[in-house]
Amino acid sequence: MDFEYMKNLIPILGLGAVTTVELTILSVFFGTLLGLILALMKISSNILFSRAAGFYIYVMRGTPLLLQLFAIYYGGPSLGINLPPFVAAVLGMSLNSAAYVAEIIRAGIQSIDKGQMEAARALGMTYGQAMRRVILPQAYRRLIPPMGNEFIALLKDSSLVSNIAMVELMRVAQQMYANSFKPIEVFTLAGIYYLLLTSVFTVVFGKMERRFSVYE
Amino acid sequence: MNKVSVKAGESPMIFIENLQKSFGNLKVLDNINLAVSLGEVVVIIGPSGSGKSTLLRCIKYLEHPESGRIFVEGQPLEPKNRSFRALQQEIGMVFQHFNLFPHMTALENVMEGPITVKKMRREEAEKIAMDLLGKVGLADKRDEYPSRLSGGQKQRVAIARALAMQPKVMLFDEPTSALDPELVGEVLTVMKGLARDGMTMMVVTHEMGFAREVADRVVFMDGGRILEEDVPLNIFKAPRHERTKSFLEKIIA
Repeated sequence: MDFEYMKNLIPILGLGAVTTVELTILSVFFGTLLGLILALMKISSNILFSRAAGFYIYVMRGTPLLLQLFAIYYGGPSLGINLPPFVAAVLGMSLNSAAYVAEIIRAGIQSIDKGQMEAARALGMTYGQAMRRVILPQAYRRLIPPMGNEFIALLKDSSLVSNIAMVELMRVAQQMYANSFKPIEVFTLAGIYYLLLTSVFTVVFGKMERRFSVYE
Repeated sequence: MNKVSVKAGESPMIFIENLQKSFGNLKVLDNINLAVSLGEVVVIIGPSGSGKSTLLRCIKYLEHPESGRIFVEGQPLEPKNRSFRALQQEIGMVFQHFNLFPHMTALENVMEGPITVKKMRREEAEKIAMDLLGKVGLADKRDEYPSRLSGGQKQRVAIARALAMQPKVMLFDEPTSALDPELVGEVLTVMKGLARDGMTMMVVTHEMGFAREVADRVVFMDGGRILEEDVPLNIFKAPRHERTKSFLEKIIA
């Protein structure tokens, strides 16, 4: 192993890692937002809403993320939609992650005892008030572990966007390998970066889980 | 206070007319007619599956009645009516399994209705909530989460939570059935206090002592029907119906 070369690689791959983090955080944010909407649609008594959300989740979970990214990045222009790689990457990852997040949130909401909704309604709350004040705050805590898994999966899956000309950690690693032909050094260091990032996520989610469990 | 002081021509607090409800093929409520006057305590007894709980849940619209009508102070309770939410807020409900909000302290549980539903100011809601927690004997538990309370304490907080909405009627759905025997008394004491203060109450319970002591009227239900209703003395001493008699014999062994 050429340790000298690895040392030089640290800042170069570090830049890619920053982009990976940016991509992941933005996708997690928009994915969770859309996922929450989809989850509420899916459990809604409105058949149109619940069918539409169910179909969306079915399609997004049943096709590869890579295909979805290609469809947006390469398919978009033929529909007159030209997106820069970063936007296409965030869009693709958000739309994909929303489907998984929706199922996590739906399961979380449905795991709350139905007596909670009844008690809230019995006090005179509307459905929306009951969700906001009673159901969702209890669901949050249960959502943290599976959401942590989802975010870590998304962080790793973000390596796929290197295929749509997005320069992030994986892409930088590929480029450096092509220049140097030192696969062990390059990919070991990239792997260490991914491990560092997923470790940070794991620690942060562990902290959140403990903080939200005061009342149990 | 004279508890059965309904003036002639005044609407009863709750009036139920030809109420029907089925779950699939099973008829749980079969042509229920019942009137509850202001300040009256009606205790509903009967074997499990007789429709007692469903009756209360229909009044609170946690179940939707199939047919029949419910009136609150003479006004029809219809989800499509504008007055529906206001009328529903006149009715408080206490559940068998308490259903306290576990992510809120005792005080926050009681304040929740006034703040979220009535848009009351925090200080005002807190004052009402503290008064009520005092009334159920739990002022010192204000900052405890439900997980730290006993079953009896939980149910007393739940009663305070329902009272915080200042309802005119309180529905109790087997309020002591989930409690350890030694905790039943403290909840019944709170309920007796409420009855003494003139609250209109409908209570589904297996506590025959409570029915005998507090009820103005006892309603016996079986198979989704009201088989008989009378003052407790008559129901317990001289039930007219064979089913009532055998039920009471079994339960007061």
